Amino acid sequence: MSCQNMKNSQSFKDRIGIVSGGTRGIGRAIVKELAAAGAKVAFTYVKSDAEAKKLLQEIAAAGSEALSFKGDVRDYDTCRDFVEQVKAYFGGLDFLVNNAGITRDKAFMAMEKEDWKDVIDVNLTGCFNMARSCIVTFLKQKKGNIVNISSISGISGIARQVNYSASKAGIIGLTRALAQEVAPYNIRVNCIAPGFIETDMLTILKEELKDKFRRAVPLGRFGNPQDIAKAVLFLLSEQSNYITGQVIKIDGGLHTSN
Amino acid sequence: MVPSIKDEILEIVATVIEKEVGDISLDAHLVQEVGADSMMALEILAALEKKYHIVIPEERLKEMTTVNKIIQMVETARKRG
Repeated sequence: MSCQNMKNSQSFKDRIGIVSGGTRGIGRAIVKELAAAGAKVAFTYVKSDAEAKKLLQEIAAAGSEALSFKGDVRDYDTCRDFVEQVKAYFGGLDFLVNNAGITRDKAFMAMEKEDWKDVIDVNLTGCFNMARSCIVTFLKQKKGNIVNISSISGISGIARQVNYSASKAGIIGLTRALAQEVAPYNIRVNCIAPGFIETDMLTILKEELKDKFRRAVPLGRFGNPQDIAKAVLFLLSEQSNYITGQVIKIDGGLHTSN
Repeated sequence: MVPSIKDEILEIVATVIEKEVGDISLDAHLVQEVGADSMMALEILAALEKKYHIVIPEERLKEMTTVNKIIQMVETARKRG
């Protein structure tokens, strides 16, 4: 191992953080990259105990420590309980990655109020619930870092995703406002807006639609979850100490061709 | 002379709120009469936890309305150990 690699592998050593929605897709990649960089990571999940267990085993095999928590971010008390457990288990808290998200894509005329409510509750209110549960700890220690996962859907809007676009645009507003409010306390809040990333959310699309989307990406490919995870680590690291309240688009150049 | 807990807490509150100790009466409402805000209350709470090695739950912030109430809260927390 080169010196540079050794340095990188320890760059998050002893740092403690939370990733919501950690067992699949982008969340899973974020958890794994953080653990590989030496962080102690606690992640939430809703459905798959088997996936959570597998992820914990993978992290343990790689010599890092993680904690899983089965719970829904749309419930405020669940989030508070989780954050307290993480602090008690690891002995502190340094950062939060709000990643948990769902889609209920439909034509707007077919969108039921439950489709709207579910997506807003998980994607946007979940973000509030987790950030609110962590913020007093960050304020007291005058140190903290939050990265929210938005989407290009929240910037440009995507047809049949009115609920999702609204929730992801809301995350951008939350990020910018909170960043201003807590900056005097040495807390940074940033946002990443992924484009088309190879995850379960994309695999449900029809092939011809996927081809159309792929052709629209200047870099000629869909992103992979690691492309997002690396940017999350950058925003959580000291390398980005002067960056707050920002939205970083990671979309293969998609927005430049609009 | 060892400062009393009352003097110590008054000093912490005055420092955070940026007022003179003599300008803060023990029963004055910190927000309505002294000009504190919720972030100042949190800073006071953090300073108290550090100084007295106690933990005050966030939920009790809204009870920290006067210096006398803060003194009571700290004394209770210290007795609990």
